[in-house]
Amino acid sequence: MSGARGRPFLGIAPWGVFFAVFGLFPLAYAFVLSFLSLNPLRPDLVRWVGFANYERALASPSFWHALRTTAFFVVGTLPVTLTLAYGVAALLSRIRRGETFFRAAIFFPATLSMVVIALVFKSLYAEEGLLNGWLAAVGLPRVHWLQDPSLALPSIMLMDVWASVGYYAILILAARKTLPREQLEAARLEGLSPLTVERRIVLPHVRPVLLFVVLLNTIRSFQIFIEVFVLTRGGPLESTLTLVYHLYERAFYHFEMGYASALAYLLLILVGLVLLAQRRLIGRGAEAAP
Amino acid sequence: MSRAASRVARAGRAPYGAYAALSAIALVSLAPLVYMARVSFGVGGDLPIAPGDWFGRALTLDHYRDLWSGGPMARFALNSLVVTGIAVPIQILISAAAGHALARTRFVGKGVFLAIATAFLILPRQVTLIPLYLLLAWLGLLDTYPALILPHLADPFGVLFMAHYYQTMSPELEEAARTDGFAPSAIFWRIVLPLSGPGLAVVGVNGFLTTWNAFLHPLVLTTSESMRTLPVGLALFAQSEFRVDWGALLAGSTVATLPVLLAFAFFQRQIVEGILQGSGR
Repeated sequence: MSGARGRPFLGIAPWGVFFAVFGLFPLAYAFVLSFLSLNPLRPDLVRWVGFANYERALASPSFWHALRTTAFFVVGTLPVTLTLAYGVAALLSRIRRGETFFRAAIFFPATLSMVVIALVFKSLYAEEGLLNGWLAAVGLPRVHWLQDPSLALPSIMLMDVWASVGYYAILILAARKTLPREQLEAARLEGLSPLTVERRIVLPHVRPVLLFVVLLNTIRSFQIFIEVFVLTRGGPLESTLTLVYHLYERAFYHFEMGYASALAYLLLILVGLVLLAQRRLIGRGAEAAP
Repeated sequence: MSRAASRVARAGRAPYGAYAALSAIALVSLAPLVYMARVSFGVGGDLPIAPGDWFGRALTLDHYRDLWSGGPMARFALNSLVVTGIAVPIQILISAAAGHALARTRFVGKGVFLAIATAFLILPRQVTLIPLYLLLAWLGLLDTYPALILPHLADPFGVLFMAHYYQTMSPELEEAARTDGFAPSAIFWRIVLPLSGPGLAVVGVNGFLTTWNAFLHPLVLTTSESMRTLPVGLALFAQSEFRVDWGALLAGSTVATLPVLLAFAFFQRQIVEGILQGSGR
């Protein structure tokens, strides 16, 4: 081991250079940008504005509206996704034959491009699409899935549940499988009902993963962009405006790159706060457990 | 029969309820994709609606022929192939080199270094979007292949994964080779790399999925139609038309899905492994 001093940098360097230039530098640069007024088309007008971008964001209805959209999204999708994913994992662990097939079928959508998913759902939600066709077939009126301001966001949420259940089911299933089989057998031989086994043994065992799923789903909800870009472009009436879509519009339609960078750092801070809150929650949970 | 015995007996029976529920969920999970493929083989650009339409109507390869006969979609597919074809092998190599160095040597600041790389995994990537745009514009690289490739090479997942992988791999063979007088580079290329297959498969397939499915960065870092990748081209194609040609659009989506399906068929275990180790996908 002694002769290895100094040499690690040769191995780390190729990736390290990319990481520094295209990872760390942009991260720091965004922080600087967030204090500037900068339009790339008018480089002569760049100036330092202090906290003005942050003040503007915090006073902007669109920013708070985007946060409300995210909150609504999390509250609406998380319980459904979590319940379904937990259920799928529980079902998969109950069967022996065919587990591979069902797991693959349910997990596969999670590997797809979100653009492809959004395009397929756009065709399902279209005025002349499959869902309206079925509604018409049973004599119900057409629904404007993506054009109705009160329905557009729920339609996107439904798609999100479809796209992510398999992903989280895999995480939960992996945690279930680390539970010793003997422990389950013993509980069964003691005469505990499957529901009791689930509640007293399995649930506490997979609890850390469930908390991780809550965390991951929340963080991802803050970052929703493709769904909105493909399906609604933030409309109708800003009903599907998310933080990242707002950031994208400010930066690349209005060229307010300083302001958009402040939005990006607010996103970073929000995600950080979610992580902190989660850590607190886990800490408290661990204390309460014994 | 005692209660316990009846439970044992029940556990022995096939769980028909579970099969029924799983079948329903699997159907909901796959039906939209079957629908996508069905529309892509349909005549004209309209959507089949009644269940009978799914199988009753005529099939055609028209949309795929249009794709191949030099339409913009062929160009998007080519761009996606070039970008992933270059980015993923480089990702694999630099991840192996950096991961190996991190696992086998100690140096000042290693802990901080690992902490920063790990924090970067959770970081919302959108934060780097505007700086990357300005940086690549300044370098004169906007709207080029390097703009589409370089940001992917900064991803720390592969490095962290390989560092962990090498920590669990015994260094005995490498030490024996060093005693035999092998140069460090020879040890890496001829001994370490050939033993890294299982780990590199995880890095490779997850790198492929992230690169192939990337959207926001490629959207912003390209300006001309001829430089768009498949996801970007498809998303913008869906918006550009007054009346959407669903057949063409979903044929393009099917083409974008096929490589993912192949990767999934051969590397599902590695994809799951990557997710469990925090690939962030």
